[in-house]
Amino acid sequence: MKGNFRQSMKWLHTWVGLVVGWILFFMFLTGTLGYFYQEITRWMEPERPFVEHNISNEKLIDIAQVYLKKNAQGIDEWDIMLPNVRDQNLRVGWRHAPEPGKKRGRYKITVLDIESGSKVESRATGGGRLLYRMHYRLHYLSTDISYWIVGFCSMLMLLAVITGVVIHKKIFTDFFTFRAKKGLLGWLDIHNVLSVIALPFHFMITYSGLLFFLFTYMVLSTNLQVNEDEYNEMRKEIFPRTSQVDSANQPTEMLAISSLYKQVNHQWKTNELSYIEVSAADDINARALFVRHETDITYNPEDQIMINAITGEVISQKTKQYTVTGIIHNGFFSLHEGQFSGPLARWIYFFTGLIGTAMIASGLVLWTTKRKQQQMKKPQGPDFGYRLVEQLNIGTIVGLPIAIAMYFYANRLLPLGMTERADWEANVMFISWALLLIYPAFRPKSKAWLEQLQLAALVFCFMPILNMLTTDKHLGVTIPHGDWNYAGFDLTMLFIGGAFAFSAYKFKQLQGKESKVKRDRKNMTTDNSIMLSKENKRAA
Amino acid sequence: MPFFIHKFNFNNTRWHVFSRIIAAVFGGYALATSSSILLAKLLGDVVGHYQAIHIGLMLTFLTYACATMWVFSVVSAKSAWFGLLKLNAIFAVLVLLLMQFTEMSS
Repeated sequence: MKGNFRQSMKWLHTWVGLVVGWILFFMFLTGTLGYFYQEITRWMEPERPFVEHNISNEKLIDIAQVYLKKNAQGIDEWDIMLPNVRDQNLRVGWRHAPEPGKKRGRYKITVLDIESGSKVESRATGGGRLLYRMHYRLHYLSTDISYWIVGFCSMLMLLAVITGVVIHKKIFTDFFTFRAKKGLLGWLDIHNVLSVIALPFHFMITYSGLLFFLFTYMVLSTNLQVNEDEYNEMRKEIFPRTSQVDSANQPTEMLAISSLYKQVNHQWKTNELSYIEVSAADDINARALFVRHETDITYNPEDQIMINAITGEVISQKTKQYTVTGIIHNGFFSLHEGQFSGPLARWIYFFTGLIGTAMIASGLVLWTTKRKQQQMKKPQGPDFGYRLVEQLNIGTIVGLPIAIAMYFYANRLLPLGMTERADWEANVMFISWALLLIYPAFRPKSKAWLEQLQLAALVFCFMPILNMLTTDKHLGVTIPHGDWNYAGFDLTMLFIGGAFAFSAYKFKQLQGKESKVKRDRKNMTTDNSIMLSKENKRAA
Repeated sequence: MPFFIHKFNFNNTRWHVFSRIIAAVFGGYALATSSSILLAKLLGDVVGHYQAIHIGLMLTFLTYACATMWVFSVVSAKSAWFGLLKLNAIFAVLVLLLMQFTEMSS
């Protein structure tokens, strides 16, 4: 299309990246936050108590069972989630009765107070889960439309990654070249470094993201090859799940789940129980599935033990038989979600996700930097397209983080008794984003960058203080208590605020330099002309 | 009026780019679909029915990406369209032949 193959691919890379760059930025940022969604939820429910660490698993299970028996009678499936590194509260969950007009009820998680054994009443919030869900389900739009938009954007992302590799024949030498502070080349190098440094991650996260909706996106091919029964059979082969039992509608008393746990503990010899799934609870068919923390990406069958909750016998499970392609498919899911990772790996995931986000941002900025000189020369000012891109860049790259901060602010500031409070948290986020997208239209662009960077710095740095003013769980309490999930949130916000402050400072410095260079050049030319005219006079 | 003439001028670069985009989006999707079915038919006996379909499906995104890259790399939009149509037709014929063959052998 444009001369040779590489030039065509460069063209494709540029435009594919630009067209959906802002949605991709949104997906990458909210998705990256998803690696800490449990921790974010914990911060957004400050009513939850600090946790005593010396209570045994048996006792916790008893507390949960007593609560479930009282409050979830007639529900077939119970989940008991034990405190772990990521969430230090004891939680139970079940699918609630459907709201009028809906087919399925919503799955809700209840946090239990270990001391009293009763429910912890916390504020209504979408928590980290809602934020993380936005990266594949967006918001406001219907599920189907969202999936297709996300799929389209992901496909273009995959294309951008592949073309990005193709256009760099010197991909490794480029990686070690960094020409800082040289305007265009500086941004190009930043974009290259961010892309290459985590290239396997970028590819993995995009491709696996597409795999999540494989049968939705490739619906034509699927429907041409299998009918509905065959499709269900195929899914079962690809995603073998532990078989659950249905209730026989013959209520009886189950054994204490904690007594079943003793056998599990005997087999595992460790305390790393993660959660328990009870199916056909208090029924003659009752079973309890004990699951420990995932340790690798293949959903290790030894991480699960199923026990008959009436007789207390271990039910020997057929090990899940994965097909080769099933292992690849599920392996990509695991890699995408990172459920197996410990704290360190989780932070690495988080930072790599941020690198991906920054890669998209730097690409978007690069588009304008490349065209800036040419556009500024135009007599009637820069084109509409150029101005639009610049405005969307400012409003998204700096605006979206501020909007997400507003989501957290809304959590602390909206009245507790408000109706549809959780919905309004998200509304506040999107209203703020809209405002920040519009704002740059009314300001000179370099001013808009600086002001939004400063606003971001302010908003994030103030978050721990806001937390201190509105709850009793501020850094002065959480750190001595050793609640690092809670304290970690505040500290991360401070760090992000610092990073924004630093970029604002750097931005101002560079701006100052740039305008100084311009002024010097102007002065020099006027000096020269004066000298020239003097010389001319003398000659005359 | 010049605006409309400009709009319907099929020699316009914008029209060519638009034509390629349509070719990439729909032609590429068709190629991804046909290639996945062909692959499933070829591998069906080797790795099992569902697994073959699964392999074909998992590779569609890469096929799709490559097809798009190809559409934007050839000389003209016309050759992109023809190329995609040709390849799709070949795949479709091969699939039909393979289906006949398996019917005869079974």
